[in-house]
Amino acid sequence: MTRALETQQMVKTTVKKQALINGILRRIRLGLQLFLAHYRHAPLQAGATLLGIALAVTLLIGVKATNDNAIRSYSEATELLSQRADVLLTAPIGQDTLDESVYFALRQAGLSQSLAVVNGRVAGKNGQFWQIEGSDLVAALTLQKSQASKDLESGASIQDLPLAALLSGEPVVVMGQGLAQKIAPYGELALEQMTLKVIAIDDKFGLGSAILADISLAQKLLNLKGQLSYIALFSERDRLPALKSQLDSLDITPQKASFNQQDQGQALMALTRSFHLNLNAMSMLAFVVGLFIAYNGVRYSLMKRQKLLVQLLQQGMERSVVMAALMIELVLLVVVGSCLGFIIGLQLSHWLQPMVAMTLEQMYGAHLLPGIWQWTWLFEAIALTLVAALAACLPLYLDLTRQSLAQGANRYQQTQAHRKTHSKQFIFACILLSLAALLFPFSQSYDVSLVLLGIVTIAIPLLLPLLLHWGVSILQPFARQGLWQYLLAETRELIAPLSLAMMAILLALSANVSMNTLVGSFEQTLRGWLETRLHADLYIRPPSHRIEAIQTQLANDPRVSGLYQQWQIDAQLNLNTSNNTSSKQTVAVNLLSRDDYSVRYTSALKESLPTLWQSYFEQPYLLVSEPLAIKYHLQLGDSVALDVLDKTGKSNNNKLIIGGIYYDHGNTRNEVIISQSLWQKAQLPLQPISLAASFYGKNQAKISDTELDKLEAQLAQELELSRAQIYSQAKIKTQAIAMFKRTFSITLVLNSLTLIVAAIGLFSACLMLTQARQAPLARLYALGVSRRALRIMVFVQMLIVVLITCLLALPTGALLGYLLINKITLQAFGWTIDMIWDWLAYGNAILIALITCTLAVLLPLYWQTRKPLVASLQQETL
Amino acid sequence: MMKKQKTMTIATRVNAKTPKAIFCALMVGLILISGCDKSPATQNSPSKSMGNMLSSASSKESSNSDNEMSFAPVIQGYRFEFPRDHLAHNDFRQEWWYLTANLTTEQGERLGAQWTQFRVALKSANSNIENESTWASQQLYFAHSALTSSNDHLAHEKWSRHHSEFADVQASPYQIHLDNWTWKSENTTLFPAILSVENEDFSYQLKLDSQAPLQYQGDNGYSVKSRDGKVASYYYSQPFIDISGKITRHGKVERVTGKGWLDREWSSQFLTKNQQGWDWFALRLNDGSALMLFQLRDDLPHESQGNKNAPISAFYSARRMFSDGTGRNINSTDQPNGIQMTPLDWHHTVNGDYPVSWQVKIPSENIDLTISPLNSNSAMPLSTPYWEGPVQLSGSHTGVGYMELTGY
Repeated sequence: MTRALETQQMVKTTVKKQALINGILRRIRLGLQLFLAHYRHAPLQAGATLLGIALAVTLLIGVKATNDNAIRSYSEATELLSQRADVLLTAPIGQDTLDESVYFALRQAGLSQSLAVVNGRVAGKNGQFWQIEGSDLVAALTLQKSQASKDLESGASIQDLPLAALLSGEPVVVMGQGLAQKIAPYGELALEQMTLKVIAIDDKFGLGSAILADISLAQKLLNLKGQLSYIALFSERDRLPALKSQLDSLDITPQKASFNQQDQGQALMALTRSFHLNLNAMSMLAFVVGLFIAYNGVRYSLMKRQKLLVQLLQQGMERSVVMAALMIELVLLVVVGSCLGFIIGLQLSHWLQPMVAMTLEQMYGAHLLPGIWQWTWLFEAIALTLVAALAACLPLYLDLTRQSLAQGANRYQQTQAHRKTHSKQFIFACILLSLAALLFPFSQSYDVSLVLLGIVTIAIPLLLPLLLHWGVSILQPFARQGLWQYLLAETRELIAPLSLAMMAILLALSANVSMNTLVGSFEQTLRGWLETRLHADLYIRPPSHRIEAIQTQLANDPRVSGLYQQWQIDAQLNLNTSNNTSSKQTVAVNLLSRDDYSVRYTSALKESLPTLWQSYFEQPYLLVSEPLAIKYHLQLGDSVALDVLDKTGKSNNNKLIIGGIYYDHGNTRNEVIISQSLWQKAQLPLQPISLAASFYGKNQAKISDTELDKLEAQLAQELELSRAQIYSQAKIKTQAIAMFKRTFSITLVLNSLTLIVAAIGLFSACLMLTQARQAPLARLYALGVSRRALRIMVFVQMLIVVLITCLLALPTGALLGYLLINKITLQAFGWTIDMIWDWLAYGNAILIALITCTLAVLLPLYWQTRKPLVASLQQETL
Repeated sequence: MMKKQKTMTIATRVNAKTPKAIFCALMVGLILISGCDKSPATQNSPSKSMGNMLSSASSKESSNSDNEMSFAPVIQGYRFEFPRDHLAHNDFRQEWWYLTANLTTEQGERLGAQWTQFRVALKSANSNIENESTWASQQLYFAHSALTSSNDHLAHEKWSRHHSEFADVQASPYQIHLDNWTWKSENTTLFPAILSVENEDFSYQLKLDSQAPLQYQGDNGYSVKSRDGKVASYYYSQPFIDISGKITRHGKVERVTGKGWLDREWSSQFLTKNQQGWDWFALRLNDGSALMLFQLRDDLPHESQGNKNAPISAFYSARRMFSDGTGRNINSTDQPNGIQMTPLDWHHTVNGDYPVSWQVKIPSENIDLTISPLNSNSAMPLSTPYWEGPVQLSGSHTGVGYMELTGY
C-alpha cells in the first residue's frame, strides 16, 4: 500500500520535474526567440559580435595553418619529386661540390636508392638570380623505400612531365604552378645565357618555390660538369651503420664525400622556432584585438537590450532562464563566427604562405610543402574563442541579470560605476607594468621576454579609459561656454562605451608603431653594418677547382689595388672546456678565416678585449658572432675549443680565447673567425672559398660605380665566371637589404591586418555609438543647433578620443618597439639593432585611425538626416 | 594506321574497358602496365606512376609530333649481324634482353630465375641531343629480376636513364648492365658470360654457356605480331644455354645447375590497338627440342567480359627448335587452327587473376601438352604487373620451361 503510494509519489515528482524542465526549456526558447526578433530589428549588434569573432578566428587560423604547414614541411621534407633522404653525401671539407664518380660507384655497387643532386644559382636576364635544383629525375621518380612507405597520396605521378625533353638536357625546367604563375607567366624563364621553357605542374607535388631541372641541364647551367652538390641516400634507420661500412668498402672516404645523417627536420625546427613563435605572438595579438570587437558587440547589444531584459525579469522569467538564453546566444554566435573565421582564415593562410615560404627559404633554406588543413583547427578555434568569450561576457551577464528590477537604474550611478571600474583597471595596469619592468632586466631567454611583452601588451590598453578621462578633464577649462562645454561633458560620457574599441585601436596602433620601428631600425642597422663589412669593390666566388687560378690572375692584374680572401669549413665548437669536462657542449659552427687586413678592418665588433689587435695574430684568439655569443652566453675571455684544431696534434693546447664578439646581422647560423696563422697551423684547407678585390679607378682614385659595372662585366668574361659568381659591393647591399626586408614582411603584413581589424572595431563602435546617440542629437537639433554644428560636434568628440589614444600610442609604441628590439629580436636572432624612431609609420597609423573614425561618424550622421526628427527623438537613450 | 595507334591513349581505353582487361598500348614489358594499374597490387606499388609517366611521356611525344615516323620500322629481309645486333638499337622504340632459367639445387629443389633488361626510347635517336652532358639521354632502361621456388617468388626492379657508367649495353667485352645487375661476357660474343643479380633478399651468379647456333624466330628473325602482318619485331633466341652457378636466398648460398633461354627482341611497335595482352611460353621438351609459343589476345568482346572462359580470339605463333639451329614455324596466319591453347586453371594473385595452367595442342608437331606452374603465385608486383614463372610439362612430352602472362 505504502509502496504504491511511494511509487505514485515518485511518478508524480518525475512528472512534475519533467514538466518543470519542459517549462524551463520552453521559456529559454521563448527568450531566444525574443533575442532573435531583437537582432532582426538591429542586425548591426549581432553583426558586430560575429565580425569580431570571425576576424579573431581568421587571423588565428591563418597563422596556425601557416605555422603548422611549415613545421610539417620540415619533418616531411623530401627530395624534390621523391622521398625523404636519410643520409646526404655532401662535398668533402673545403670544397663546394663532390665528384659524380662517387654516385657512379654507389650505383654500380647496387645502392640504387640514391639520388644525385646538383644545385646552385644562375643569373637571370634582369640581374636577379634563380636557384636551380637539378637531380637525376629518373632516380628521383623511381626511388622507393624498401620499407612500406605506401602513403603516396602526394607522390609524384608525373603524367605531364615531358621526360624525353628533360632527360635529353633540353632547356626545360619544372616548377609548381604557383611559382610558375609568379615568375614565368608566359612559360619561359629568361636567363642571361638562354631562355628556359617552363613546365608547370600541380602544387601538390611539393616543388614549393624550387626550380627543378634534370641533372643533364643543371650541370650545364651551373657550370658544374661532372660535379654534384650532394647525393641523397635512402635507407632504413637501423641499417645506417651497415650503409656507412659499405661506403667505406667502396672507398668513399671523407676526402671524397662527407657523410651527413639527416635529422628529419629537427635542426630546422629548432632554428625556426623563434620565427614561428613570433608569428604566433602576432596572431594572438590579432585574436585579442578581434575579441575586443566581439566583446564590444556583446556589451553594446546587452546595453540596448537592458530594458528588454528588465521587462523579462519583471514578467517573472527566472534569472537562470534569461542567463541560459544569453549563454546559448553567445555560443551560437561563437560557433557561427568561428566557422566564418575558419573559412576566411584558410584563405588568408593560402595567401600568406608564399610569403612565409620565401622568408623561410631565404633565412633557413627550408622548402615548404603545399598547404593542408585540419578540422581540429576549427574545433580548437571554437573552444578557444568560446572560453575567451565566456570569460569576458560572464561578468556582464551576471551584472545584467542581477540588476534591480526597478525600472531605469540611475544614469549617474552607472557612470560612477564605470569610473570606478576604469580606476581599478588603471591600477591593475600599473601593477602589471611595474611587474614587467621589474622582471625584464632578469629575462635572459626569448620565451620569458615574450611572456613579459605579453603582460605589457595587456597592461597598455587597460591604462586607456582613465587616461582618456584625464585628457578630457585637462581640456575642459579651455572650452568656451555653451556647446563646447556640452561637447566635452558628453565626451566624458562617451568614454565608457567607446573605451573598448579604443583599447583595441591603441593595442593595434602600438603594435604597428613598434613593428615599424623594429623594421626601420633593422634596415638602418643593416645598412651601417654592410658599410663596415663590405670594403672591397667586387666579391668573387668561383668554383673550387678554379679558385687558385683566378687568385693568381687577380694578384697579377695591374688594375687590382687589393685582394682579399675568405676561408670556410664546418666545425664543432666545444664550449666550457675550462672547468668540468663532463658537461661538454658542442655546437656546429661555420669556421671562417679572413686575411689579416679584412679581419682587422671589416669585423663590425660589438665588444672586444682591449688587447685584441695587438695579440690577435699571435695568440689563440677567436672572434664569435653575436648570435652565437647570445645563444650560448659566451663572454669575452671565455675559453672554447674547436674540433678541427684537435687534429693538429697539440691535443691539450687547443684552447681558444674569445677575443671579440662581432655583429652578424641577418645571419642565423653560428659563426666563428680564427686568424689566418691559426688556420694554417691547423692544416685546414688552404684554398679560399671566396675572393674579394678592390680596384684602382682613373688616376689611382677610388673607382666609380659606372667604371665598376663595366669592370665587373669585363672580369666576368676574362675569368669565365657566371654573373652569379661575381658581385659588386652595391649589388650585395641591395640584395641583402631586399632579402631582410622580406624576412619581416610576414610580420608587417600580420601587423597591418591587426590594425585593419582594430579599425573595423573602431568603425563598428563609432557606428553603434552614433546610432545610440540619435536621440540627444535630435534634441539638440530641435533646440536650434544647426546640422553642420552638430556634425562638427560629433566629429570633434570622436577626434578628441582618437587623438588622445594616438598620443598614448606614441610612448607605448616606443616602449613595445624598445622591448622588441632590445629583448625579443636580440634574444631570438642575436642581432643588436639601434633603435630609430619612424615618424612616417607613426603618421600612417594615426591617419588610418582618423580616416576610420571619420567614416564611422559620418555614415550614421548621414543616415540620421534622412530619418524624420520624431523617429530620432524617440530612440532610446544611451 | 600508324597514326591511329599512336593517338590511342590509355585514358580512352580505360573508359571503354574494365580496368583489368585494359591493355595498354605502348611497349611490351613496360607497358603491359599502365591501364592495368588498377589491380590491387599496383595500387600500392609506389612507382606505378612511373609506368604511367613513361607511357604518357612517349605517347605524348608520338601523338603530337612526327617523331613516331622517325623510329626505325621493322622490315622483312633484315640481315642480322653480330656483335652489332647484340647491342642496343636506339633508333627503335623498345628492346629487351630476356633470360629465363630452370635451375636445380644440389638438394634437388627446382627453381626458376628470370632477368630482363628493357630499353625504351623516349624519342627517336634521329632527333639529335644538343646537350653533350653524359647524363643527357633519350634512352630509358629498366630491369626486372626474379627467383621462384615452389613456395616463394621474389621479384625486384631497377630503373635508370642510359648512362655509360651504370645503365648501358657495351660491346667489348659484351655487357649489359643496370647498377649491379650485369651480364658480362668474356669477349664480344654472347657466351660464355656471367649473369650477376644482387638484391637484398636474393642474388644469383650464373655461368652461362651455349654451343648451339642462334634461333631466328618467324621469318629469319622477322616475327609477325598481328593477323594483318602489319606489326612485327626482330626476334632471335638462344634456347639452349647451359647454366651453373650459385644463388643466395635470404643469406643462404646454394649451388645450382640448369638450362637457360635468352630472347632478344626489338621493334618500334609491339601490339595493335585491338590486342589486349599475350601469353608466351619458352618450353624445353624431353626430346631435346625447344618450343617457343605465344598468343597475342584480341580485346574481349563486350558481351563476354567477366566470363574468363569465353573463347579467346588471338594471333598465334610458334617455333619448334632444334639444337642444330634448325626449326619449324607454325602460325595462325598460315594455319588458322594449327595451334590450340586453352586455359585450364585460374589463380588469384596479388596482381589479379591469371590462367596459370594451360593445354596446348599443335597437331602438326604431334604436340599435346598440359602446362602447369611450379608456383601459381609467380605474379610480378612491379610497376609493370604481370605473371612470369617456371612451368612443367606433361602429356605428349615432358619437360620444363617458362611462361609469361600479360594484359590480364
